[in-house]
Amino acid sequence: MNRFAEWLSTTPPSVYIQNHNAWFIPLVQSIHIVGIAVVLGSVLMINLRILGWAGMDQTLRQTSTRFAPWVTSSLYLLLATGILMVIGEPVRELVTISFWLKMFLVAVSTVIAVNFQRKLRADRQPIKWLALATFVIWACIIILGRLIAYDHVWGSWSPATKA
Amino acid sequence: MNIEAFLKALQATALAEKIREALFVFPMLEATHVIGLALVFGTIAIIDLRLIGLASSQRSFKRMYSDILKWTWGAFALTAVTGALMFITNATVYYHNFYFRTKMLLLVLAGINMGVFELTLGRKVDSWDKSPSAPALGRAVGVLSICLWITVIFMGRMIGFTTTRAAVAAPPPAGVNFDDFLNTPGPPPAPPKK
Repeated sequence: MNRFAEWLSTTPPSVYIQNHNAWFIPLVQSIHIVGIAVVLGSVLMINLRILGWAGMDQTLRQTSTRFAPWVTSSLYLLLATGILMVIGEPVRELVTISFWLKMFLVAVSTVIAVNFQRKLRADRQPIKWLALATFVIWACIIILGRLIAYDHVWGSWSPATKA
Repeated sequence: MNIEAFLKALQATALAEKIREALFVFPMLEATHVIGLALVFGTIAIIDLRLIGLASSQRSFKRMYSDILKWTWGAFALTAVTGALMFITNATVYYHNFYFRTKMLLLVLAGINMGVFELTLGRKVDSWDKSPSAPALGRAVGVLSICLWITVIFMGRMIGFTTTRAAVAAPPPAGVNFDDFLNTPGPPPAPPKK
């Protein structure tokens, strides 16, 4: 991974971003944060509806139809801006434990979301504690995303401190 | 007490000292700030899109507003507290930072925008509660709100890039220029060691 990250940092797109990082990286990060906000707001609405704490004038299916597509499209936006950030700063992103823990949790939350949609189509009741768990997982994803910049807080667990 | 003395006193408090020294605290404040602002923008955008008529057009505005806004305010409180705690660690620097000042100004504008809405259309919400979009003023408030909040987020990110040591320590490498790279056939210049 180390070698891949170093190779990636010599490719033209990466060099381009490195040369324009005064505005490029903050801009891409800001778009990434806007995407996170749309996901988190939409996930909150669906989860509050599952728990019965908000949106009770709508059925769960109506709530999901309103918000789930926003989650999906924002996830693509997050993927695109995330890839740009990895290309721009490969070593800083890939050689961290925070990044890979984050990717693991993104995978977990995607599995939960797909499972939820399947349940909804089959008219089965969603699992309430998973609604809370999904929200906690998303909070952890955000925390880990920020910790990529501070991977040294993991001490010897962080590959960055060994390099 | 003048403002400089006040900022210095803020920075010198035991709390500010503790946050600066602890390894985990500042990153966790930043992360909690992001969670808070994501909830603020995420929920406000839902209201704004309803005002504009782009989403949730079938729902009663009043119902949505009372359902969602309490979460927005809760998240805003979280964001404000974490923001204030970050501010006191380096108050003199943040206070003079261009992006910080712009962000505060934009926050005030977002507040005025919301106040205008509350005092006008908010007072006669029953007359348009069920229509698929708000009257023209409400649509304008919605568009302005989304623009203001996205700019607030960008300004916030720029504060981090212009006030920390990391930003100062990593200037773009000298002699590396993408245009040269495009025009000359040789191997690409080596990237800076990070």
